[in-house]
Formats: sequence, C-alpha cells, structure tokens
Amino acid sequence: MSPALKESLEELLRARRLQAEAPPLRGEDRRLQPLAFGVAVLDGLIAGGLPRGALSELHGPVSSGRTGLAIALCARSTGRGALVAWVDPADRFDPASAAEAGMDLTRMLWLRGSKSSSLPSALSALGTVLGSGLFEAVVLDLAGVAADEMRRLPNTSWIRLQRMIEDSPTGLLLLASSHVACGPGGVSLALGPARAEWSGAPGPGRLLRGLSSEASAGRHATRRASFSLDAV
Amino acid sequence: MYGCIHACQPLPPGVVLVDLARTFTPRVEAVADGTVLLDLQGFGRVWPSPHDLGQAILAAAAERAPCVAAALAWSRRTALLVARSRPGLTVVPAGEEAATVAPLPIASLDLPEDRRALFERWGLATLGDLAALPARGLAERFGPDGPRWRRAARGEDDQPLVPAPPPETFSCALELDWPVDGLEPLSFFLARVLEPLCAGLVERHRRAAAITLDLGLVDGSRHRRTLKPAAPSADARTWRTLLRLDLETNPPKDAIQSVAVTAEPTPARPVQFSLLDPAQPSPERLAETLARLVDWTSTGRGGAPRLLDSHRPGAFVMETFAPQRFVPKLCRSTTTRVALRVFRPPLPARVDLQQGAPAFVSASGVRGAIVERAGPWRASGDWWDVAWSREEWDVRLESGGLYRIFRDGLRESWFVEGELD
Repeated sequence: MSPALKESLEELLRARRLQAEAPPLRGEDRRLQPLAFGVAVLDGLIAGGLPRGALSELHGPVSSGRTGLAIALCARSTGRGALVAWVDPADRFDPASAAEAGMDLTRMLWLRGSKSSSLPSALSALGTVLGSGLFEAVVLDLAGVAADEMRRLPNTSWIRLQRMIEDSPTGLLLLASSHVACGPGGVSLALGPARAEWSGAPGPGRLLRGLSSEASAGRHATRRASFSLDAV
Repeated sequence: MYGCIHACQPLPPGVVLVDLARTFTPRVEAVADGTVLLDLQGFGRVWPSPHDLGQAILAAAAERAPCVAAALAWSRRTALLVARSRPGLTVVPAGEEAATVAPLPIASLDLPEDRRALFERWGLATLGDLAALPARGLAERFGPDGPRWRRAARGEDDQPLVPAPPPETFSCALELDWPVDGLEPLSFFLARVLEPLCAGLVERHRRAAAITLDLGLVDGSRHRRTLKPAAPSADARTWRTLLRLDLETNPPKDAIQSVAVTAEPTPARPVQFSLLDPAQPSPERLAETLARLVDWTSTGRGGAPRLLDSHRPGAFVMETFAPQRFVPKLCRSTTTRVALRVFRPPLPARVDLQQGAPAFVSASGVRGAIVERAGPWRASGDWWDVAWSREEWDVRLESGGLYRIFRDGLRESWFVEGELD
C-alpha cells in the first residue's frame, strides 16, 4: 500500500471514527467536536461550540437572536447528516425561517406543544428524545413559556436531563428569556439586547437588514463578543 | 421415484392439491391448477412397495376431490403424462417409461399449436411415433427444441423437480395457566412468544413488517392489535417495547388468558454501508422512539415539517419523521439568520396609525410605541380557494422587541404574527 493511500485511509478512519475499539491512530483525537453555531466570534467565546453530553443554555431578551443562533446550530448538524430535535412547548418554531437558514427539515423532529399540553409532558418527551441517542443536537425552547409554569417545575428536572445525556454525543440546548439551568460541562451564553439594522432611510422600501447583539459567557460574563444576524 | 396427482375435474372450493401432496413429501411442484408432482425419492424404505404408496396417495386424494388420477414413475415426465391420460393408479416400472408413454396421443405433450399441426400432417399420431424419429433430423429442422420434444416423448426429464417453497407463516402462541392482569407480567410472556418468532424470521432471512398481537381475554373476547412500524425489524426487544407501548395506550378490558403473535414477513433489507457516508440512525431505535412519542405523533404535534409550495405565510404540513439516507449536497450552505417566532394563532392587535404607518401596537403581551418600521409589504393569494390578503410591517418597539405585524386586508384588522429573534 502506498504511503499516500495509507494516509488517506487513516484520515478517513479518523473522520468517520470507524475503529472505535481499536487503539487511536497516529494523531487521532477521539474526543467529539463541539457543536458550532457557525459564528466564529461566538464559537471562540465557548471553546469551539456547544459541548456534547452536557446541558447548555442560550438566554436573552426578546429579539436578541436566540432562535436564529439555535437554528443555525441545528442547520449545521443536519447539513452533516445528523438528526436534530426541537422540543417546542409554546409552539413558536417557524419552519420557513429554519429552511431559509439551510436546515434540512426532514432530519428534524419537531415536537409542538399545545394549549392543552403541559410543560412536564414536554420534558417527558424530551427525556424520550435524549434517551434514544439518535439526535446530535436537541433544543428545548422555553422562551415562550410563562414564568409561573417554569416555577412549577421541580429543580431536579434539569439534573435528571443532565444525567441522561452525560457521556452521550448529544448536545442539549435550553433556549430561554433568562437563566434557567446549565450543566457542569455545559456553557451558558447570555445575549444582550439587540440593535436592529435597517436598509435605508425611513419610508417605503425599507428593509430590516439584520440584528447586532452582544453575547457573554462565563460565570461573571467576563468573556464578551459582538455578532450579527442577517435578515435578508 | 416421482409421483403425480391429477384432478380430472375442477377441484371443489378450498381443496388445494399442493397441501395434500405436502402431507407425503415437502418436495412438491405445482405444475398446473389441477396437477401436482411429488418427489418420492427414498420412500422405498418406508413403504413396502410403490403400489402401496400410490394407493395411499390416491386414497388421500380421493377423499378431497371427486375424480383424481395418480401415477408413479422413475421420471417426472412419465408420471405427469400417465397421470393426465389414465384414470386411477398407474405405477410405471423402471426402464419402461418410453414403452408406457408410447401409445399416448401426441397432443399429450405441451407443444406449440403450429408444431402439433405439423406433426399431424407428417402422420405422427402417438408419442411413440415422435420418439421413433431420429434426433439428428429433428435438431436440423427445429433446432434444440426438436431433440427436447423427442426426449419428452420418450418420458425423459430435461430438468429436475423444482419444489415450491412452503408458505411462510410466522406465528407463536402461548396458553397461560393463570390469567394475567397488568402489562408488567404480560411483558415476560410477550418475550417468550416474540423471541422464537424473531429467531424464525432471522433463520429465514426475513423481517417482520407488521406484527399482530392477539390476546384471548377471560371473558371470551379477543383483543387484537396490529403494529406496523416505519422499518421492518426482527428484533424481539424492539417488538416487545412497541407492543407494550401500544398496550399502554390501548389496554385490554379484562385479564389475559392466551397470547398469540403473528408476523407479516418481508425480505430482510440488505444495507450496504459506506465509508464515505455518515452513519445512519438505527431504524429499530427510531421506530421505538416514535412509538414512545405516540401521544405527540398521533395528534399531528410530532414529526417533520414540510413546507408547502405556496406564498401563504406559515404554509406547512406535519409528516411522519422518517429521515431518508443522507446524501451530502455540495451546494448546501447554512447561514445565521434572524428567525421568526410565530404566534399561533396570530395575536389580534390594535394598531394606531400616523400618516398611514403603524405608530403604536397593543396586543396580548406585545404593547408599545413603534420607533422604527419597514413596510408595507403587500401579498395576497388563493383567491380561487380560501383567499388571503395582508400588508406586513416589521416594527421595533421602544422596549427593544422586533415584531412582524400585518393588516388582514379581508378582515380589515391587525395582527401580530410573530417576534423576530
């Protein structure tokens, strides 16, 4: 076997992780890569992306870009052929926005809440989704859930979810308006109020061009970065 | 030795000669609707003589059909020709095949119509006449068919018996000593019937596309459930989980006295894994997960959305979550974009206008002065069906929130469609 062919075969084995039981190849890093948002400054803020096997959160006020970032993360996963799940107790997800962001909707399991369903039933479904081990990224959208309903949840819910995904390749992301929970290995990304960018002077024909916001990570929000999302 | 059973008259409804023949030997070939061939090799050690065996076959056939003939010979062709032309039982001794079939009319052979007419014009009346012709001359005139017809006229075989595969029935039943009440103990009995069933499927290189669970209840009624997951499976654990989840949703109304499962077999799907493709999700685990989420999927609240080919905002349908094999797309690109967080249904709103543009919005949970806006963007459609017409605005409130509001042109009212996030 020629050295070049051997090298390319080893590269393929490393990329596909097809020798799970065999000792690592030369230069092979068996650790799974974090799930990146695709925004370089944000990914740099949290060491490359959302850690797998941990409960992370992305919180911020209305129109801070939380949903756009979560959709971008899921779109990157589906683009690699992985499956994602979006647990949506308040039924606020917009498939058209996700498709525009490049998400493959056939690889996304969307669980939509209704007025009659409760948050505990959504958490129960989330447990089923996480327990299956089929999904690379799972988003729990709590941004539209009423605060009193959130308060009724037992605190152990988040510990249970964290335990479920430990040592699994799944990344769990909570989407919320304010801090909810973050696992020991997870990241808590706080978004600040966003600034809207418009295409021109007020008047007919003006367009919303995007949002600019600031994100902070770390216990005392010591690491900060600015980012923007496109709207057109 | 070969045997042949031939029904001289149409068979009564429900009588299948192949089933009758299988009571003697598993190697059975159905030649036509009323004719069946049996492979009787080795039966000489069981039956004292071929005649006794033939009598037993004929007696068994006569019980089911009014007029049957049977023949035993050392070639299947001879047995077939003789059974079709002679009533009762005929046993052809070894080496006398050609002599036995020689007096039979040439129409006994399944010849093409034009060839049969040609042989009649040549003056050939019996199989013996055809067998007496030189093989070389027949080959020169008819090609390879000529010698083949000659061998058939001598009662010789061209091909071995092709046995029909036995019908595949995969079922397993268990009669319980004591009635079982509750799903937890039933789970153990499900394992006892599903494991041999799935082992049988795997042995035959089959999977179960569907499984029917038939529970006999103490009150004499039956509780039947049929499960058909997205992917066929022969994994007993998966099927047990699926059945248990289904029974949790649709429990039997009384204690259970008997358990029976029947599988609908389907060929196992060969999967060619590729080094170049990402790993695909296990179909069994996916089916199990979706079964656990049946409360969501059965009400249309769980699945994969599919956008409709329409300009109507929010036009999509929910479909079963069944991801297909992933094909990497070179041109697929993902972008980080502002997304809409939709209110379903849109929030009715009161909007104050200044110089034709929204200046203040008030809806449930959304209220404030509008400090920046973009619009209006007008759209309408579906006038031939359920018409819609709207005038959209993207607005920023003084509180900082960005919302998409619209005025319904048909209802002359304002709504908040969603939050831009």
